[in-house]
Amino acid sequence: MTKQLDLPDIQGNVVRAYGRFNFPFARYVFFNIRDGRRGRAFVGAVTEQVTTAQRWGLGPDEIPKPPSTVNVAFTYPGMKALELPRASLVGFPMEFIMGMKKRKDILGDDLQSAPERWDPVWRDSREHDRHKDVHMWISINGQSKADVEQRYEWLQQLVAHSAGGVAILSGHRGDDGAEHLPFQDLHVVFENGKPTPKEHFGYTDGIGDPVFEGLPGNPERVTGRGKQMKDGSWAPLATGEFLLGHRDEADEYPIAPSPQLLSRNGTFMVYRKLHENVGTFNAFLDRASRNYPGGKELLAAKFVGRWRDNGAPLVSAPDAASKAAWDEKFAQADRRERDRMLSGFTYDNDMQGAKCPFSAHLRRINPRAALEFTPDAFNTPGALTNRRRLIRRGLPYGEVKDPTRDDGNHGIVIMMLNASILRQFEFVQQQWINYGNDFKAANDKEIILGNHNDQYPSKAVIQSDPDGDGAPYFLANIPRMVETRGGDYFFIPSMTALRMIAKGIVDPT
Amino acid sequence: MANTSGNAYALTCLSPIRKGCIEDGSGVGTGTAYSDDVRHRLQTWGLLEHSPMAKVPQTYLCRYFVLDDVYYQSLSGPDFFSTMYDILSFFSDRFREMALPREDHLKSKYLVFSCNLHGDVDAYLRGMWHAIEEDIRRIWGYCYGFEQVRDADSFAAYVRKCQLKASLFFVGSNDDPLPEQLKALYLKQEFSRFAVEHQGLPATELQQAYRAFMQRVQPLNLAGPSWQPGQSTP
Repeated sequence: MTKQLDLPDIQGNVVRAYGRFNFPFARYVFFNIRDGRRGRAFVGAVTEQVTTAQRWGLGPDEIPKPPSTVNVAFTYPGMKALELPRASLVGFPMEFIMGMKKRKDILGDDLQSAPERWDPVWRDSREHDRHKDVHMWISINGQSKADVEQRYEWLQQLVAHSAGGVAILSGHRGDDGAEHLPFQDLHVVFENGKPTPKEHFGYTDGIGDPVFEGLPGNPERVTGRGKQMKDGSWAPLATGEFLLGHRDEADEYPIAPSPQLLSRNGTFMVYRKLHENVGTFNAFLDRASRNYPGGKELLAAKFVGRWRDNGAPLVSAPDAASKAAWDEKFAQADRRERDRMLSGFTYDNDMQGAKCPFSAHLRRINPRAALEFTPDAFNTPGALTNRRRLIRRGLPYGEVKDPTRDDGNHGIVIMMLNASILRQFEFVQQQWINYGNDFKAANDKEIILGNHNDQYPSKAVIQSDPDGDGAPYFLANIPRMVETRGGDYFFIPSMTALRMIAKGIVDPT
Repeated sequence: MANTSGNAYALTCLSPIRKGCIEDGSGVGTGTAYSDDVRHRLQTWGLLEHSPMAKVPQTYLCRYFVLDDVYYQSLSGPDFFSTMYDILSFFSDRFREMALPREDHLKSKYLVFSCNLHGDVDAYLRGMWHAIEEDIRRIWGYCYGFEQVRDADSFAAYVRKCQLKASLFFVGSNDDPLPEQLKALYLKQEFSRFAVEHQGLPATELQQAYRAFMQRVQPLNLAGPSWQPGQSTP
């Protein structure tokens, strides 16, 4: 029998990107737990409303689609504040215990991205005053703004009811220089009043999350999203790459705290608030494309590996002519075919990077089989990739009011879900975003997300066809287009674990 | 095991460190073991370009450490014989114990010097003596037999006596002389900078700039601009 996940036990944000299901608004609220017992009671009350991964519908094993969703996660100090047994706490992985701030050297969070420059809520967390530590994340995603507000009011009532057991932490930056908002508001980018899947640089975002065993959904989605096999077919990744308590790609259980009921069906989440320097990006794109033979939009596509307007992958649409043909086909395709056109590709015919450059976002974040530079070098083409995959969740925040400036309130909150933050997120960030050796790109960083600096100016190569006449194109003095504004490492427990934490009955003995 | 790869040589040397503690001048112990002091001295060495080894010609990469003892390698897996012994344990514990791996220990602590170098190993060691004699004396001074070392030749002979036949090669290096490798790195870096800074220039201007570039970087002059041994930042 094929593997089936316990959907009612898994939190909904693990399997669903709510933004894709008509939830264009979100509010993330962060808490400090002041009292263990009352804190647990608060968690218990919230848990009753947590959105699970169950299918939405009116059938017997389904739940009606809610107007707004609720999900919960904890930092390590949060688990401590809830008085989890020490014997459980010591089982958490070292990087989760340390938290994101302390991992800044690995993550490249330096200069403008350094923790001293983060939003106050993150800057002050895990420093001197434990009342400012971020312990808990509660996310609300809503079909409308009013739905979000309604949930938030409910949350505030629970906080009041906790009688000082928990406190909402303020210190999020917002519009017009606000520094102390009590929550992080997010919403999709609207164009002419219509929601779009775009972020503030104009790229289509959120395509191609990994597909793993047991994940509900149409089986064809595995193409381009699972793992590439030797015969060219695709298979779902092992569940244990994304959920604790399940077998991973090494046929092992991921490192997780005991008891098993605490960790199984849970996962780790990396929360990163990333400010987008829209003015810098636009100026750089203008400067760099001035002499680029393919023109501005192609160069913008080369930064990421997809065309900005509709996300067409460069591997399938490497130039204006093929893009026009792709667009025509895309316009006529049904939903499944569209999905396949967006995600179902490989780099097999682009091993020189002439279509999608080695430093493009897409290629760096999920190289598929492209790190097997010598055919059949590994026993499976994705040998270097399959254990570095990430589920990405997130939404943009703020609005671009002046596209020539950097200092507005605009960016994206990205949440990456994985079974091992160390092996998956941190490795990708350190080796593939801020370094290029695995891609034979020396120390070139990923173009958009790389922590470029002025001291050692970054370059990147836009490869050209080695058999053609065109010269490779060099990007010089790449500025830092994205800055970290805060975040931390969280544990997303299963529903079972949430109930046990709330009741104070987690027992590792 | 071959410890040469073309002109690259992998040297591994284990020098036994004296047992016991350092005495003060009057024969009273100071409480610090010789081996601990060697480790401390190594740990106070500078790193990268500040390491004394950066002054030693033709060093690709090297590592020093104090080896206290060998590690216990855990029980062997259940092969046919251990399974047999397990069955025999029905008769006696002695059979079972026979199946356990024996625990090994070193007779003394060792100063381990592992080094990848270019060219002839004896010439290298003599060059090392001439470059950092003082540092060598401080590091090897507590090793058995080092009192026989008086000059470059006797140092080379001493290290060769302590040599272990092992081929630990550092893959980040080929077998060219170090100054050539450093120059090649320098040229590669400067050339990619040149390419980036001059892309799109008309052919004549490009050629002119290229000539100026070649004059500046002096590709054939190893004594000209280059990376320095151990250098870690531009």
